[in-house]
Amino acid sequence: MRFAWKSLAILAIFVVICLVQTDAQAKQKGAMTLTEKVQNLMDMNFKKSVLRFNGQKFKDYVKQGPKNYSMIVMLTALAPSRQCQICRVAHDEFTILANSYRFSQIYSNKLFFVMVDFDEGSDVFQSLRLNTAPVFMHFPAKGKPKTADTMDIHRTGFGAEALAKFVYERTDVQVRVFRPPNYAGTVALISLGALVAGILYIRRNNLEFLYNKDLWGVLAVLFCFLMISGQMWNHIRGPPLIHKSQNGGVAYIHGSSQGQLVIETYIVMFLNAMIVIGMILLTESGNQGDSKKRRLMAIAGIAFVAIFFSLLLSVFRSKAQGYPYSFLFK
Amino acid sequence: MNRPTKLLNRKTAGYSSLITFAVLLLAWLSGFSSRLFAVIRFESIIHEFDPWFNYRATAYMVQNGFYNFLNWFDERAWYPLGRIVGGTVYPGLMITSGGIHWILHALNIPVHIRDICVFLAPVFSGLTSISTYLLTKELWSPGAGLFAASFIAIVPGYISRSVAGSYDNEGIAIFALQFTYYLWVKSVKTGSVFWSAMAAVFYFYMVSAWGGYVFIINLIPLHVFVLLCMGRYSPRLLTSYSTFYILGLLFSMQIPFVGFQPIRTSEHMAAMGVFALLMAVAFLKHLQTVLSKTEFKKLFIAGALIAAGIVFLMVVLATVLGVVAPWSGRFYSLWDTGYAKIHIPIIASVSEHQPTTWFSFFFDLHILVCAFPVGLWYCIKKINDERVFVVLYAISAVYFAGVMVRLMLTLTPVVCMLAGIAFSCLLEVYLKEDNTVSIPKADETDEPAVEKKNLYDKAGKMKRPRHDNSHEANGLGSNLKSVVIIAILLMLMMFAVHCTWVTSNAYSSPSIVLAFHNSHDNSRNILDDFREAYYWLSQNTADDARVMSWWDYGYQIAGMANRTTLVDNNTWNNSHIALVGKAMSSTEEKSYEIMTSLDVDYVLVIFGGVIGYSGDDINKFLWMVRIAEGEHPKDIRESDYFTDRGEFRIDAEGAPALLNCLMYKLSYYRFGELKLDYRGPSGYDRTRNAVIGNKNFDLTYLEEAYTSEHWLVRIYRVKKPHEFNRPALKKQERTISSPSFVSRKTIKRKKGYIKNRPVVVKGKRANKK
Repeated sequence: MRFAWKSLAILAIFVVICLVQTDAQAKQKGAMTLTEKVQNLMDMNFKKSVLRFNGQKFKDYVKQGPKNYSMIVMLTALAPSRQCQICRVAHDEFTILANSYRFSQIYSNKLFFVMVDFDEGSDVFQSLRLNTAPVFMHFPAKGKPKTADTMDIHRTGFGAEALAKFVYERTDVQVRVFRPPNYAGTVALISLGALVAGILYIRRNNLEFLYNKDLWGVLAVLFCFLMISGQMWNHIRGPPLIHKSQNGGVAYIHGSSQGQLVIETYIVMFLNAMIVIGMILLTESGNQGDSKKRRLMAIAGIAFVAIFFSLLLSVFRSKAQGYPYSFLFK
Repeated sequence: MNRPTKLLNRKTAGYSSLITFAVLLLAWLSGFSSRLFAVIRFESIIHEFDPWFNYRATAYMVQNGFYNFLNWFDERAWYPLGRIVGGTVYPGLMITSGGIHWILHALNIPVHIRDICVFLAPVFSGLTSISTYLLTKELWSPGAGLFAASFIAIVPGYISRSVAGSYDNEGIAIFALQFTYYLWVKSVKTGSVFWSAMAAVFYFYMVSAWGGYVFIINLIPLHVFVLLCMGRYSPRLLTSYSTFYILGLLFSMQIPFVGFQPIRTSEHMAAMGVFALLMAVAFLKHLQTVLSKTEFKKLFIAGALIAAGIVFLMVVLATVLGVVAPWSGRFYSLWDTGYAKIHIPIIASVSEHQPTTWFSFFFDLHILVCAFPVGLWYCIKKINDERVFVVLYAISAVYFAGVMVRLMLTLTPVVCMLAGIAFSCLLEVYLKEDNTVSIPKADETDEPAVEKKNLYDKAGKMKRPRHDNSHEANGLGSNLKSVVIIAILLMLMMFAVHCTWVTSNAYSSPSIVLAFHNSHDNSRNILDDFREAYYWLSQNTADDARVMSWWDYGYQIAGMANRTTLVDNNTWNNSHIALVGKAMSSTEEKSYEIMTSLDVDYVLVIFGGVIGYSGDDINKFLWMVRIAEGEHPKDIRESDYFTDRGEFRIDAEGAPALLNCLMYKLSYYRFGELKLDYRGPSGYDRTRNAVIGNKNFDLTYLEEAYTSEHWLVRIYRVKKPHEFNRPALKKQERTISSPSFVSRKTIKRKKGYIKNRPVVVKGKRANKK
């Protein structure tokens, strides 16, 4: 359904473009005046915040003078056959920025957002000597674009905020990015809350499990494991899962004490959990009546604690240069 | 050594208190002595950055008295703004050491205030371990308390903030924190007004000592709230919380820096909301005594929900209306972990505000970090009112420690307590003689051995329980028992050596004086460049000279050189810092304008390229750019300081903006001529392992005033406008020709000549008639 709407919309745009094109071609004979151009652009912009140009219109409105407006152009390849994944993401971000500009107070006829698709205007790509997409360029009102007018998306990325900063740097127009609020998190939270409330309500006559200390204990201890194994660090820094070392091998442990890998934190969490289980086994063996069971628990417990603690220590040792102590294993 | 054997024979109360006393004393002593590495290796010196301010403020207070200290306006900081020190500082630390100084002098013991400041934190670590003992004793058992006390005495997570010379708020605040919690737990247990009033008094001390008091004023209400949710309301709780809250609120508002915050900011609203809720619940409970059962049940649920809703709405409304300030950025960044990085670069730039890796958890807590979930488990299994508190304490502290390395400090005490509980539970099982009940005392006997890290002692003592157990055949076998005990004690011993190693290697460098090992002759070299340069400043510059440096060094310049600084470690004014950052990252010409507008006389930069010191200003430079960009986005752009490939390089391929900015020039001035090796090229930066890109340049607006021995500190004098080489004039333009003036000193008239002399025209007096 959504797809159908989209294609319908694209069709509509094409119709509009065709109409405008014929209109433009009519005036092509004598090159358009500045006021005409601005008027046309404003008309187009009224319908759509990102203007979609082909090669001819790019030439007319962007490359040729006279101009008194700046153009931010995204050169991209959106056709599915091109298989450009990031182009879609970049297009969404670009649209967000263009919409924020279009519906803000500062909207004027001095700045327009334009996109050119490779399949509609490959001559544009040729004339600008581009062979990658997406590319963001700024075409100033006066003069040719300089090297700084091409946005370096490898360094800054193409988030709408980064684009807005680029626009601000080049044109002095400060666009405040307004993202359509993302309700996914809120909805998930509310549905989770509703779920919990629902379960509680269904089981309202049998709320014993809330007084189950084992449940709460496991939850609390799990939370501690998450924190002490550095999951928060992973959440904030987003490290890779594993590391490929130079000689083709795979490293599971980050070499320095400053960083960590995701898999490494799971290993550490497992080791910590095993030590804790070992210690609990040791302690619980005191409460058992059966002598044989007691001994078994004690042996298992001490083995867990000793072995896994020494493993943890050796992982630690491999990260801390010059750490002198070890236990059982090197 | 023969105390334990005696004890096993005669168990009297006297011996158990003697052992408690001995263990606590030993914990204090070992805690104190393991914090002295820096003093022994270097000297009795204040460390790092913030302690220098605290020391300066304390010295000022001792000299001028308490009231003058409270009214102190420091015109030597934040030039030209100045700083109201008395109103922007937590005075507890200064009052504590000032008070000790006063008492000692009253007893005619002449101790310099600096020595009190240096040794304050180690002394307070002993008090911390005693209060940890008391708290754990209330929560679990005296045996666990002794374990916890010995753990906290030597655990690196706490030592990192309390070595001798690290004269900072945290040193005394952890004691205040633990003791307040002890008094609070005591008051919840007894329901007595006395204990809760005492808790409020110590809360007052905590408020006066450290900004972390917010942790207390949120954790205690959380405890009360959870107790209410669990249906554990009792009149004891009502008494203790209402006394604590009212008194604590009034006390905390007496600190000038805190002022009206307890009723005006969101951080404190939880306490107020819980207070209202508790009152509502108490009222409903009172109605319970009046009404019938079914009536009451409906009323209770509805009433509690309504009360909670009203409280919540009130707080939200007050926040929206602006009566209550919203969460400040520092606290907010604890919840929304990505917030600081985007919005407050100055918070994100500090390395101790980074999240914590598992490595740092293990580094700071070693075996305790594996053992404390066990203690948590048993606290939940055998829950009661006060154990709810320790569970909440553990969970909140472990979360905060995960978000920020710095808050490892608040996690450490609770980890020590819970690990103490875990080990005490464990050893209770294995040290118990099957026919006697000398459980807690038995673990106590093992404790001092762990404590003293005396390996020979330990081996001797470990055998003893085994001998005693060998008589029993039932239950766990004696061999198994001794294996378990030996293994556990070995691990505890490893904990002790780990703590000592970490303290000695990681946490005992004063960072004012640097030491490095010379690999050639295995000798230890001392780099005293910082003090050398600060001393030069204090001796060779005018008393009111203004020194510009990055904010890290502000406190040190003020403390050691006693000169006026522009920005310092109290980062209260971001735009002022950004201005300094802008001056550092602009070209010489542009920054000269900024420097003259700020009346800068000297510029101080830290440069580590000669000795390979990585914490220098070039490595911090990107933060200066970022902070400057935040305030002056038109003039400073971070991207200009990277190469086209997005690299930060200082060699010939570096970005031109970087190679020509003031910081670069000041760091590398004359460095291009310097050859560090016979073979290597000249101008080779050892920190960044590159040959610098801009070698031969001259400074126009500044001149080199002083460079310390290893080039670590470089000081430049800003020239006055008439001094520097102005752009060269052509020869014919150099003399000012004035065609209107013709010399009248001809040979004829050698008289002097006054230009524009009033000419007196002689004539007749006008007749009035």
